[in-house]
Amino acid sequence: MTKNLDLTDIQGNIVKAYGAYNFHKARYLFMRIDNGDKGRKFVGTITTKVTTAVHWTKDDASTGVAKPLVTTNIAFTYSGLKALELPRASLKGFPEDFVMGMRERKDILGDDGPSDPKHWDKIWQETVHIWISINGQTIDAVNERYEWILKQIEASDGGVKLLTGHRGENGEDDLPYQDASVLYDASGNPTAKEHFGYTDGIGDPVFEGQTNIPDRVLGRGKLTREGGWEPLATGEFILGHVDEAMEYPRTAPAPDLLSNNGTYMVYRKLHENVGSFNRFLDEQSKIFPGSKEMLAAKFSGRWRDNGAPIVNAPDDESKKVWDEKFAEADFAAKKRMLTDFTYNQDIGGAKCPLSAHIRRINPRGSLEYGVKDAFDTPGALVNRRRILRRGLPYGKVTDPIRDDGNHGIIFMALNVDINRQFEFVQQQWINYANDFKEGNDKEVLLGNHDAKNPGKVVLQVEKGSGKPPHFVCNIPRLVETRGGDYFFIPSITALKMIAGGIIDPT
Amino acid sequence: MSNIAGKAYAMNVVTPIRWYMVWINRLIFKIALSRPSTLKGLITLSLIHYARWVIIPKDGFPHLHPSQPKENLHYSYMLFFSNFNGSWDQYVDSFTFAIPSGLDLFWKWNIRYPKSVPLTPFHDYIKYNQIDTAHYYSAYPMAASNDVKSAKIVKKALIDFKSASIEKNPDEFLIDYNNLLNELQLEFGEMRPTPIVSLSADAVKQRYLQSQSHHYI
Amino acid sequence: MATKSGNATALTVLSPIKNGTMGEISYADITRERCLRLPIHENSPLAKVPNTYLARLFILDDVFYESLPGSDSVFNFSDIFSFFSDQARRDALPKIDHLKSKYLVFSSNFHGDLNEYLAGMWENWTYNDQGIQHDVRYIWEHCVAFDEVTDCNSFISYIKRCQLDASLFFNGSTDDSLQEQLKALYLKQEFTKFVTTHQGKSAIEIQQAFKRFIERVQPENLSGPSWIPGQSNP
Repeated sequence: MTKNLDLTDIQGNIVKAYGAYNFHKARYLFMRIDNGDKGRKFVGTITTKVTTAVHWTKDDASTGVAKPLVTTNIAFTYSGLKALELPRASLKGFPEDFVMGMRERKDILGDDGPSDPKHWDKIWQETVHIWISINGQTIDAVNERYEWILKQIEASDGGVKLLTGHRGENGEDDLPYQDASVLYDASGNPTAKEHFGYTDGIGDPVFEGQTNIPDRVLGRGKLTREGGWEPLATGEFILGHVDEAMEYPRTAPAPDLLSNNGTYMVYRKLHENVGSFNRFLDEQSKIFPGSKEMLAAKFSGRWRDNGAPIVNAPDDESKKVWDEKFAEADFAAKKRMLTDFTYNQDIGGAKCPLSAHIRRINPRGSLEYGVKDAFDTPGALVNRRRILRRGLPYGKVTDPIRDDGNHGIIFMALNVDINRQFEFVQQQWINYANDFKEGNDKEVLLGNHDAKNPGKVVLQVEKGSGKPPHFVCNIPRLVETRGGDYFFIPSITALKMIAGGIIDPT
Repeated sequence: MSNIAGKAYAMNVVTPIRWYMVWINRLIFKIALSRPSTLKGLITLSLIHYARWVIIPKDGFPHLHPSQPKENLHYSYMLFFSNFNGSWDQYVDSFTFAIPSGLDLFWKWNIRYPKSVPLTPFHDYIKYNQIDTAHYYSAYPMAASNDVKSAKIVKKALIDFKSASIEKNPDEFLIDYNNLLNELQLEFGEMRPTPIVSLSADAVKQRYLQSQSHHYI
Repeated sequence: MATKSGNATALTVLSPIKNGTMGEISYADITRERCLRLPIHENSPLAKVPNTYLARLFILDDVFYESLPGSDSVFNFSDIFSFFSDQARRDALPKIDHLKSKYLVFSSNFHGDLNEYLAGMWENWTYNDQGIQHDVRYIWEHCVAFDEVTDCNSFISYIKRCQLDASLFFNGSTDDSLQEQLKALYLKQEFTKFVTTHQGKSAIEIQQAFKRFIERVQPENLSGPSWIPGQSNP
């Protein structure tokens, strides 16, 4: 089933993770619309610079589009679309989760205790309407685009207001934007790491209509009964296309031109308690039969240094072997080593624990528990729970024993159905574990661990080996939500129609 | 509050079935029961405590007294009762994706059953024909079906271990103890109250708890 | 004849409710209200009925008219006749059915023998509603012919007259007695706490502690410490 996506109509951030294209710097702006007319005009102007998903040429050939120095994308909350005066007949077609917004869904997401919205950055105590992202190859490129946007806000003559209230490096709480950036190593080279030291951004889902599918689909698409991989249905990630349930996503509002080629985005500012993490890892590794790095790999499902999947490198010895093979592999083979795997030889979790981060957010075929042909396909319970991950770390760790610095991840999940995809994974697989037969045991890194009733996870071992499993107890809350919301990312066509005030589902 | 008791959700579905299809359905159920492989998917899904299908022939509604008018129906009816874990959406989705042909097998002969794929017409069919529970009771609201099954394994292993090893010398005891933990390593999940599967149900529950704290007797 | 799966039993009861009203409220609505007011979890009267795994009550007001479109997999001659006759097309639409009475539906999944279970309902079903203790008659009070129920035996025969067989009873759990299930859940919970607390300790320490643990939890004593039916808090 081949299909061609209208790449010029889809916003670029849906199809590309800019960080992988050398856009190492990002800035996120949030605005409120105070006048419908002026707001629409503003959207129209911004749209002239919105980056599409069109292919970028590798050289300066006249075919195709050269990679820009900076990208811009735009999205709206439900309140924002209302402020832009979309007709009621369109508004009522948006799904409940998007209409409520992330703050009102805190009980589903487990945003309690320190993650409760009342502790979020000041900006999130206001009503946010517009999100604009600037991704740049250099900070200068980002600044230039930022200045241009500021000019447009000014030109709106009070119609659009830039919201302030982001927390900053030095205790400020009223910054006008949220910056994010790749982390650099000691020599100043960009890395793919986040503040706990893990290599991030491996393994984005692959869907119909993307390019180079054979190269990328292994381990990243959906599993077939024969053990191969196929791309997921486009309609899991982009509205207006058929999804895995053989229908068009029902989360699409009318008219078609408003929703086609758009999608929903979950934006979350996740603060990382680096001090607690380091302390916890240190303490726990004292009683763990294996190295500290092996324990860290057990939490995540990947080794920190290079992202080696622990299911293929379950201990220090096998990791050395994996590293040697990795060093000798070419670019394509490296990618396969990182993403092409299943848990079929590890149903019991002895290699990759059932509580490991990557296993919880994408169990691959393992929910069939090794019972051949139990389900229609091995990924039957997983294929509709995938999300596209975008985002970058923010802030710097100045003191690795403290939690109160300004550092974390700006996390974005893109999907057509927030409740079925993102919220489900968050609520049922990260903060709960019945599908993994682990009761209420939460995932170590992202789980909303309760300081009053701290939980645990079990690190399984080889069955029949005579060794007991290892228990990791009293897990502190390592990640706290500091803000965010649910956004709709329209297509270019929809943006122009919104700007022109001509959305009409009659 | 009505359809949920802790981690269990009560689903009741009533659907008309052509009177002459009653016997075919009964036959299918009989076959399904006698061939465990048919139910492989259901068992692997592991979300269900207990579920049942009841067929009421059109003259089969209980009639207890001459004063009660006799039913005069065109169709017979199929009742489906399930006790499962998770939200309604998760449950219905699981079936559609994991065992679509199984679903079709059970509901095929019902009036205007739309087939289990694509999803939304099937969702609509179930929702449309679902009746809410007025009172739902689970003897173990904090336990999912997985927990009940797991607990059975733990109890047996613990008792066997006690008989075999509790009086051994400490070093031998420890070897056996570690073997026991290895054997039970997939049975150590915590059991606590459920995540919220429905905001409206949760709101009702909060109000109920508040009213209980004002309760005096 | 209730349906069984091993020792687990499925009881499905449809009791017709008297048509008519008490003042301005129908018997069906009175019954429904009483069901809605039943206290939940450990305070439910079902928590007192021995061996009840999961059970529910609701009122079946009427059957639904299937107005949704579907794709019937059965070939109908009316599909052909409809080409030629509008009447044939209309006749092929689903018929509208109505029930002449409303029914109190009670569905229970329990362990053991039906007669014992029903006797258990008669003898043990009790709860408090607005300051008054009620037994099982309070829910069935307005059902047709329930006034003939005066004692345990007549209650059992009454329920059996209202009973329907299940064509398929799927057991996705166990068929142990409720006491077994609750004791096992208690042991799973307690033993999990034990193993995490004693990780890494010496052989002697663990053995001593384990002996004390066994004395406390009494694994083989079903009447010893355990979860109570309907327990909703750890």
